[in-house]
Amino acid sequence: MTSGPRCHDAAREEPRAAGSSAPALRSLYFYLTQGCNLRCRHCWLAPQFQTAAKQYAALPPDLFRRILGEAKPLGLSGVKLTGGEPLLHPDIGALLEILQDEQLRFSMETNGVLCTPELARDLVRSGMHHVSVSLDGADAQTHEWVRGVEGCFEAALRGVRNLVAAGIRPQIIMSLMRRNAGQVEPLVRLAESLGASSVKFNLVQPTARGEKLRDSGEGLDVGEMIGLGRRIENDLARTAKIRLFYSHPVAFRPLGRIFGENGDCGVCGIRGVLGVLADGSYALCGIGEHVPELVFGQAGRDGLAEVWGGNPVLRQIREGMPRRLEGVCGECLMKGVCFGSCIAQNYYRSRSLWAPFWFCEEAEKAGLFPGSRKAATDARQERNRPMTDCQCAG
Amino acid sequence: MDVKKPIANPLIVLREEFDDWAILFDPDTGNAFGLNPTGVFIWKLLDGRHNPDDIVNRLREEADNVPEDAGEHARRFIASLEQQGLVGYEIEQGPGAGTGVRG
Repeated sequence: MTSGPRCHDAAREEPRAAGSSAPALRSLYFYLTQGCNLRCRHCWLAPQFQTAAKQYAALPPDLFRRILGEAKPLGLSGVKLTGGEPLLHPDIGALLEILQDEQLRFSMETNGVLCTPELARDLVRSGMHHVSVSLDGADAQTHEWVRGVEGCFEAALRGVRNLVAAGIRPQIIMSLMRRNAGQVEPLVRLAESLGASSVKFNLVQPTARGEKLRDSGEGLDVGEMIGLGRRIENDLARTAKIRLFYSHPVAFRPLGRIFGENGDCGVCGIRGVLGVLADGSYALCGIGEHVPELVFGQAGRDGLAEVWGGNPVLRQIREGMPRRLEGVCGECLMKGVCFGSCIAQNYYRSRSLWAPFWFCEEAEKAGLFPGSRKAATDARQERNRPMTDCQCAG
Repeated sequence: MDVKKPIANPLIVLREEFDDWAILFDPDTGNAFGLNPTGVFIWKLLDGRHNPDDIVNRLREEADNVPEDAGEHARRFIASLEQQGLVGYEIEQGPGAGTGVRG
């Protein structure tokens, strides 16, 4: 026996923001820059390509400080810095000082290219507790085909090494597509050799450039993605020296990998997260760059407490999620932790907050959605089945 | 010693999966819970004929390395199931009134 009996509730009560009926605003995701120094084929945000000659907007430090000041009374406990590319921010040093002053721990998503030894040390000193660096191939040819800029592979490796030297072991993120699907194992070995803490495999979302990539046939089909997930979680994870995560929806993950020791519980944080775009807009997340109705206000003009507590879309999500989910997500027994996997993606595709997640919908159509995770209409009859070794009714 | 013998709520469905974990769910509400393999073993013995000590004894017969404090873990687990309406206990009623189950 390896662990005591445990019953994991798939839906939990959340803490509330002080003096409010809204849940606590636990985290802000800062999309710090409108520009990016890479041109990734699959990017769901599709920022502008930034060069020395052409600069794009970045969130001003004084507005950053003000937003944090308004968010702390609402329950803020951490932030995520992302982009565009967060290290492209012209005042990244000032932002780090503010985070240190506010004693807020933060995580960061970066392509690693601009992460010098000094910057890596500053990031760690300022309270960064988690960093993920994207590597979409185990060699320069593949990575740079995905990322669209020559030389970015070696630069990213240097960035990873600088982070490790500064005392933080990054997570490597690989976005899976037809071109790099054969490099999964070499990438894991590369990550191990670099001193990374883990590798996370992301599915390309059919949003913005990701949608074009899938339409062009460079994306994997759902059967390939499910098969790859099984190989990574069931086989490769056994031989890897570091942890591997495969980001398919919760319904496709073994329960032990969701609820077990060191499991990734998969609970969607959407009820406690708000996005801040580079122009200071409050939005559901970065999707606000593409979907204006998911922008909820403007920092500096609109009070964050009013936006967080009063925005009708946010209230609708709190009231209806997961109960109003439709299609296969409405039938899914994991909906209390998964919340439809990605509301932003679902809305982008259908203009409905309650639409099912594309991956689950395609899997259902292909007959690949796991039957044990669906509250099938005949489930009531299972109650009366005799108990057997493989299936029993309580 | 516990004398109460818990009974799994008959309205709840247990679905076992390939890795010996299982989902408990209520088809009427859609509420779902994950059970680890030890929890599954215990759930199957919540039949109104075993008290927690009986269940832990069975566990010791069938599994290796069962910790000393397994009884306490099992009682807490059953209490959490009871709290969530997933188990109850048979109660004796007055003569001629039959038996009932309280949750």
